[in-house]
Amino acid sequence: MSEAVTPRPDSKKKAVPARSSKGSLIDVRHLVKVYAGGGQEEVKAVNDVSFSVSEGEFFGFLGPNGAGKTTVIRIITTLLPKTSGSIRVAGMDVERDGAQIRRIIGYTGQSIGVDGELTGRENLWLIGRLYHMPKSLVKERVEELLEVLQLKDAADRRAYTYSGGMRRRLDLGAGLVHHPRILFLDEPTTGLDPQTRNAVWEYLRRLHREEKMTIFLTTQYMEEADQLCQRIAIIDQGKIVAEGSPTELKAAIGADIITVRITRDEAFEKSRDRALEIARMVPGVSRATIFDEGVSAHTADGGATLLEVLRRLDTEKVPVHQVALAHPTLDEVFLQHTGRQMRVEEVKPMSRGFGRRRR
Amino acid sequence: MVTDVGHAQRVITRTRDSETSGGVLTEIGLVTWRSLVKLTRTPVLLFFSLFMPLIWLVMFSQTFGTVFSSATSGGLPGGGSPTPLPYDYVAVLLPGITVMTAIQSASQSGFAMVSDLESGFMDKFFVAPIRRSSVLAGKLLADGLRMAAQAGIILGIAALLTLAGWRIPFATGVFGAVLIMFLAAAFGVAFSGLSNTVALRTKNTESTMMVSFSLTFPLLFLSTAMLPKALLPSWVQSFSTVNPVSYMADAARALILTGYDWTALGNAIIAIAAFGIILNGLAVMAFRAQGK
Ligand SMILES: Nc1ncnc2c1ncn2[C@@H]1O[C@H](COP(=O)(O)OP(=O)(O)OP(=O)(O)O)[C@@H](O)[C@H]1O
Ligand SMILES: [Mg+2]
Repeated sequence: MSEAVTPRPDSKKKAVPARSSKGSLIDVRHLVKVYAGGGQEEVKAVNDVSFSVSEGEFFGFLGPNGAGKTTVIRIITTLLPKTSGSIRVAGMDVERDGAQIRRIIGYTGQSIGVDGELTGRENLWLIGRLYHMPKSLVKERVEELLEVLQLKDAADRRAYTYSGGMRRRLDLGAGLVHHPRILFLDEPTTGLDPQTRNAVWEYLRRLHREEKMTIFLTTQYMEEADQLCQRIAIIDQGKIVAEGSPTELKAAIGADIITVRITRDEAFEKSRDRALEIARMVPGVSRATIFDEGVSAHTADGGATLLEVLRRLDTEKVPVHQVALAHPTLDEVFLQHTGRQMRVEEVKPMSRGFGRRRR
Repeated sequence: MVTDVGHAQRVITRTRDSETSGGVLTEIGLVTWRSLVKLTRTPVLLFFSLFMPLIWLVMFSQTFGTVFSSATSGGLPGGGSPTPLPYDYVAVLLPGITVMTAIQSASQSGFAMVSDLESGFMDKFFVAPIRRSSVLAGKLLADGLRMAAQAGIILGIAALLTLAGWRIPFATGVFGAVLIMFLAAAFGVAFSGLSNTVALRTKNTESTMMVSFSLTFPLLFLSTAMLPKALLPSWVQSFSTVNPVSYMADAARALILTGYDWTALGNAIIAIAAFGIILNGLAVMAFRAQGK
């Protein structure tokens, strides 16, 4: 399927200027990807995505399951052909110059692609040799990576005996053996415990800082994007809905956010609509929106407004399940731009419960 | 994880500058090395891929042996000599078993492909600056080496059996045996194109197994691999003439029983080349289409 790509007027797209960026290392213009689906329905996984990443930047793609993150990263890394659009990496075209692009990029995929029958050391060695590095240099580099990734003790064990975290680290190492100029990481910390995640973060920061590596990362974790990335694009249902530095994105939302969760009963929808009306009438609320569990309201002065909102809800007998007051995080940014929460299934730390509010 | 990255900085330039060392043979060699290491580290697989053929050899020679000898007590039907044959059924069967083993290994060839695609390891190959064809070539080379080794072991054991009084002529000696190993490997590699095509198209181990299985056995039994053509029912005879397995089996059998039969060898090579090009051509196409 080849569809004419015209920039669609979309209110949410204002954050994505289609600026031409000559100096950028990765430049993606109007990327569209449609999966044929093999007899089933076609899936438009990426729908007119444009962005660019400059040399030395730490860039993040943030989005929920099925947003299209993996699709975009696989297209840029030459693993998947695009449907339309243009992509240049270091000035080279992904389709024409795939071979040259592959020399300067490292890729660590979402599924951990280490060979379980090979030892950790052999896995890294094989990858290094596949990049045509001379034997002596590969050896040196492998030892160095094993050390840095804390896999030295397990280096001669077969990788299937590794824990999930060790495998992730080994896989990360496999993307680094040849000192790529650009590192692509598809959800590099999914499934890691907080300690290991922190260690990986620390290592990525060092790579970025000390090796001047350009890093493109995808993640489902707000915190990860917030911690690591200099610039973030939020992607949802194949479209970029917001882009900017974490600070910018958060500042765009306003000061405080009041979140009111409504009790889930038969009258939930009605109660929620009522709560929205009420919230909009409260003085000091700059903007109020509904989300899947209730209503969120933006205000300059959280404390005072919250009391007023609660008082009015109580008078109107709207069944309130939970109330929270928060300073904006990327969660809110996401919520703001998509009308949905990032990961509804998770117990969210978003709401620092009412009363325990830190300010 | 917070140790010295600074050292890395020092080798970066060297690493990036050295990207051109090693050519296509290195690439193929690395892929082959990996496949063989995996094979040797899976002892169960190694055991069965080497010893199953021997079990077949013993089983078939016991069950069909008596039938064969009574059917041929006055020489082969239609054959010139009315005298009893100077060899046992096992000598007739031996080449067939080498073919059968090669076919069986070939039918499993796609499994590794499916598991690499599923695990994401294949991406490591695809994202590296190597030719895609090296990946396939390296894998086929490893398969070929394995099939040659299997044929060699079967022939070696058969040679030991002659010491125990089994009558296997080995008409062309060691060189003929090496030629059989080579043919078996080439034949197996040609056929693994089928399993790899199915594997790459379906990305599913069960489908790969089913398709291979349902083709392997008819091909073997509707050929001259188990019995000489003269002893087959007439409809099987007609089918066997279009079955590449027959040409392979006939050439190998001649090497064991009578000597260099250049016509049979030529036919076998043509059959192997034709099927190899068609089936592996399909596999290459399926491989190229990966991720599309
Ligand atoms: N091979 C494929 N064939 C058909 N549809 C696909 C294929 N791969 C992905 N999709 C669809 O494309 C969309 C985007 O998928 P993608 O894997 O890029 O999402 P993602 O953001 O990486 O999600 P996750 O966080 O779950 O990894 C989804 O709707 C998915 O179902
Ligand atoms: Mg993904």
